[in-house]
Amino acid sequence: MDERDPLIDRAIETLRESVRLDPGLDRRVMEEVERAPAPRVGARRWWSAWEWLRRGRTVTVSPLGGLAAAAALAALLLMGRWGAAWVEDTAAPTEVLEAATVQFVLVAPGASMVTVVGDFNDWVATATPLRQASGDGMWTVTVPLPPGRYRYGFLVDGTEWVRDPSTPPALDDDFGRPNSVVTVRG
Amino acid sequence: MNPQRRAAWVLFAAMLVVAPRPASSQEPRLAVLSQPQRAQVEAILDSARAARLPTEPLVDRALEGASKGAEGERIVAAIRRLHGELGLARDAMGGLSSAAEIVAGASALRAGASPNDLTRLRELRGEESLTVAAAVLADLVAVGVPSDTAVAAVLALADVVDDAEYVAFRRSVERDIALGATPVAALGVRLESSAAAEALGAGATDQLDFSPGGQRQRERKP
Repeated sequence: MDERDPLIDRAIETLRESVRLDPGLDRRVMEEVERAPAPRVGARRWWSAWEWLRRGRTVTVSPLGGLAAAAALAALLLMGRWGAAWVEDTAAPTEVLEAATVQFVLVAPGASMVTVVGDFNDWVATATPLRQASGDGMWTVTVPLPPGRYRYGFLVDGTEWVRDPSTPPALDDDFGRPNSVVTVRG
Repeated sequence: MNPQRRAAWVLFAAMLVVAPRPASSQEPRLAVLSQPQRAQVEAILDSARAARLPTEPLVDRALEGASKGAEGERIVAAIRRLHGELGLARDAMGGLSSAAEIVAGASALRAGASPNDLTRLRELRGEESLTVAAAVLADLVAVGVPSDTAVAAVLALADVVDDAEYVAFRRSVERDIALGATPVAALGVRLESSAAAEALGAGATDQLDFSPGGQRQRERKP
């Protein structure tokens, strides 16, 4: 255990030896310093900061640390999104809505198919078919709707648009076919 | 791969996963429109989002146009007009109005109400939703009541009735019209009925002047 490598012993002896410097070294260094123009304090600070920024560094990140940093970044980005959504909601807040069941009825004795088409089903012609209650031409369907105002019409046999006579007509009929409108209370 | 580089890759991959998507993402339901019209509608939707207006009514209107086989230009014009009405209604009723209120307010504007009427309605209704009140206004006009008379009636009832009573009032007027009464006469009769009920309910002598040219505000007799 006490035996040391001779190489290490030699290194120790070398390091213990005093170093003799050139006696003129201090004088030459000071002369160079005095010759150099004194930088302004502000510029020196900026230069130091720039040098600090430019200087390369080795950063050691463990995989776990990298994941933690990524998670923190993800959280920040998601908070940004939620913040934007919140601002939007402030302008038009979403009410706590309670669905109401609305019954649509049309008397169409000669029809072979009736659907209700409107704001509540993206105006998809086949999305909400009515069923004939007892073969007497009375067609009906119930649809759960949250509070709001909905424009709709009946499509008979896939071709004929018919307004619901039991609800008010919609004034904003932009496409030349009659609509009805239903308002569900909140 | 050394640990630093691995960590950098993990970080980069995580950033890609959570990178925010553009706010003006396309509305997939508008694929039923032709490309030029779709682009125009998307631009209007972007404008609505920027103004914090509800976009669903605009999408619905576009889908309605497509479902009814309307021409693209007509669809775009309808959406542009609705966008303007939604903005007017929201500004008149206040920035905190719900989407349903804004839609109903836009219908009331289309029926002939003015933005000032909607602002007045908001003042009278306080924190209560304006959805039904504004919708009843539009519905009354739709069944033939002149718009100024409908506005006067809805404002007169604003601090007297609740939503259910508004709906009952509108149904009564519609029924009377269906039975042969003129819209103005039906409205006047039903307003008097509401006023009488309110006076009895309050145990006071409150009266409403419901005549078309009369005062819109509630009068308290000494």
